[in-house]
Amino acid sequence: MATDLRISNISKIYPGCIANDNVSLQFKSGKIYALLGENGAGKSTLVKILSGVISPDNGEVFLNEKNLKLSSPLDAKKNKIGMVFQHFNLFETLSVFENLSIDATEDNKSLRIRINEILKKYNFSIDLDVPVLNLSAGQKQKVEIIRCLLRSPKVLIMDEPTSVLTEQETEELFISLKKFCDEGILIIYITHKLKEVLSLCDEVAVMRKGKVVSVSQTQNERVETLANKMVGQKLAKIKKKINISKNKDEIFKVKHLNFYSDDPFETNLINLNFSVKKGECLGIAGISGNGQNELFQILSGEIITPDTSIIFRNKEIAKLNPKQRREYLMAFSPEDRISQAAVPELKIYENVALNNFKSSNFFEKGLVNEKKIKEHSKKILSDFSVNTDNVELKSQFLSGGNLQKLILGRELITAPELLICYNPTWGLDVGAINYIHETLIKINDQEKSTILISTDTEELLKLSDKIAVIYKGKLSKIMPSEEVTPEKLGVLMGGGSID
Amino acid sequence: MALYFFTPFIAILLTILGGGIIFYILGFNPIEALKFYFITPIANLYGFSELLLKATPLCLIAIGLSFCFKSNNWNIGAEGQLTFGAIVGGGVALLFYNQEGFYILPLVIIAGAIGGMIFALIPAILKTYFNTNEILVSLMLVYVSKLLLDYLVVGPWSNPEGFNFPETRQFSNSSRMPLLFEGLRIHAGIFLALAAVMLSWFILYKTYLGFQIKVSGLSLKTAKYAGFKGKTMILVVFMISGACAGLAGVGEITGPIGQLHRMVSPDYGFTAIIVAFLGRLNPFGIIFASLVVALTYLGAETAQIFLQIPKYTGQVFQGMILFFLLASDYLLFFKVKILNLKKNELRN
Repeated sequence: MATDLRISNISKIYPGCIANDNVSLQFKSGKIYALLGENGAGKSTLVKILSGVISPDNGEVFLNEKNLKLSSPLDAKKNKIGMVFQHFNLFETLSVFENLSIDATEDNKSLRIRINEILKKYNFSIDLDVPVLNLSAGQKQKVEIIRCLLRSPKVLIMDEPTSVLTEQETEELFISLKKFCDEGILIIYITHKLKEVLSLCDEVAVMRKGKVVSVSQTQNERVETLANKMVGQKLAKIKKKINISKNKDEIFKVKHLNFYSDDPFETNLINLNFSVKKGECLGIAGISGNGQNELFQILSGEIITPDTSIIFRNKEIAKLNPKQRREYLMAFSPEDRISQAAVPELKIYENVALNNFKSSNFFEKGLVNEKKIKEHSKKILSDFSVNTDNVELKSQFLSGGNLQKLILGRELITAPELLICYNPTWGLDVGAINYIHETLIKINDQEKSTILISTDTEELLKLSDKIAVIYKGKLSKIMPSEEVTPEKLGVLMGGGSID
Repeated sequence: MALYFFTPFIAILLTILGGGIIFYILGFNPIEALKFYFITPIANLYGFSELLLKATPLCLIAIGLSFCFKSNNWNIGAEGQLTFGAIVGGGVALLFYNQEGFYILPLVIIAGAIGGMIFALIPAILKTYFNTNEILVSLMLVYVSKLLLDYLVVGPWSNPEGFNFPETRQFSNSSRMPLLFEGLRIHAGIFLALAAVMLSWFILYKTYLGFQIKVSGLSLKTAKYAGFKGKTMILVVFMISGACAGLAGVGEITGPIGQLHRMVSPDYGFTAIIVAFLGRLNPFGIIFASLVVALTYLGAETAQIFLQIPKYTGQVFQGMILFFLLASDYLLFFKVKILNLKKNELRN
């Protein structure tokens, strides 16, 4: 049976911001629809309205001409609207089957039969009785999808589904989605990744500042045209000049980095060795959860590992904590902006004071020098074009992109010799990503070095001079980036080998 | 944000309401009973001075606890630190039981603060170096210190002329807190509490230590990333907290009590946890909260006299304050919705 989903004049206003401004869209089964937009463009709000998490101030949703009242996620489920969120809602320590049976209404026996039918039909290979924590991200996502399929959905909404997947897993996902689509399930696909829109979807709706700015057939679009619609301005293409000079000094050298953890949720690191030259960018690729977290924390000094040797500017720094490492002109930008790199409840200038390097004089004789911190913060806000000049603003009111600019600004204003960053553009919009990429390239041009740990292969290929892949705590050989292709990276990231 | 500082008032209002209902069920006129509880105790100057007397230790301890709680360290053992401070301070006072001198009181006070500090260091060191849970350790140490006090007052330190009563000698006048007014029990300890308020405000909001405490409380991950010395900070906040509790203990024995006996504190150390949260861990909020909670102590005593109900109703009121505070914190930030589902709807 054909499904027809219509959103009519939806508006949602939050204090100080219009999240959805009179949004009307129409979706018909048999096609895959993309919903594209920058952070804060309103697509999450729209999706939350569709899945019943929040209710709109105005407007209606029609499914096959029936006016839906979606006042809770339960209503969405009842009306056969399924949703797979970016962050999985699974109990890690329960088995796959237990996870699926939590909200099931049938007895275990018939549930198991139905799950097995789905597994067979879509060629999913998942052991139902292993704990979820043993699954890869792709498998976890499949569990979420199965959960939706068990309710025979008419509409399936996927929120940034590929951010944690390998190239191969992404391909598998696309095949499944196309199959669902053929069976008459209406698919709404939310993403930042323009290439995915072009390769997967039939129709694309672009949102900007709460409004739908364009609806078009993807066959008429290109990456550039979509990007321009998203940000509403022409984007300059940037590409890094590969730093070819071979005979520069090694500024940073890691030897025998080993890390063994008692925590089953952490990854052990096994004998990592690498070095970075002056003005060079070393990219470390890999699917998240393969040891990047642990590697970053060891490089920043949050975790001290015995027997590791880290030489920075001819000094052994392996035993130093992050603050001490900063004194030697290292800087760090962690992946987690909201709970690690910055504290949302703190004001901008307080977050700036987290990077309390020696010459800053932020804290003289143990006292807070508020004036100095604020002056310094103002400089960061203007130098790194953060869209506010109010240093008293709480950081939670900054968008992801602006917060990341603030963090990078805080780390870079000390002119560090080495910046280590981990997924610096994660979840950001095209405009902010561009800005941050330009900034990272500029650092290398100024003969400063960077280590870029990232799960975004495109970003790595764009910015790195040499690339290695981390898989299950082991590092591949380090390759010059001109020899690397996305396919090669994909193989290595999935645990394969190349010669 | 405004709501955040407003909920304590809602909690107090609900507590009074809840108290009225309890009195009604017990067969009293609720208005009358509440008047005995909250108005009569402070209707005269003596009553008011008693209020300040009880608020002093509560305020001191809560100020100390705010350092721990703000930085995510759950020191539940202030009662034990108070008791140990009283033991050490009292020990020094007993050394000078037959002497007079201006230097004695400062010595006693310092000894008490150090005693509390040392006792608080035990859970802190165990937490930082052996990964123990500070909630359990600090709580269990309360009983250790109380039993130690028990042993001392019936055994080695008991008053030789005391007819085997479980108490020590009376301290000499030089070991006693100076009284502020003739005929009232309010003593100079209140200045210690006020100084602690000022000092804690300064430390929390104007120093690097305060900044580190704030950041650690909001996100331990960030504190680690910024390179704060986590272990040192845990030790420092426990020491501050223990010192404040120790001071409160010394204030009690050199103030209204004047000797050591079994009951140096009517659970001030536990009640101060409520005070700290009711005051939103803010130094000035804590002054206000300590007065409110002190009133429940006084009210319980008046109620015992006039209404013939046990003075443990004080604890009922303290419990209600905490209960309503937590409840209004929780409920004000969530929406309550009553679901009207038919049975077969649930099944589908």
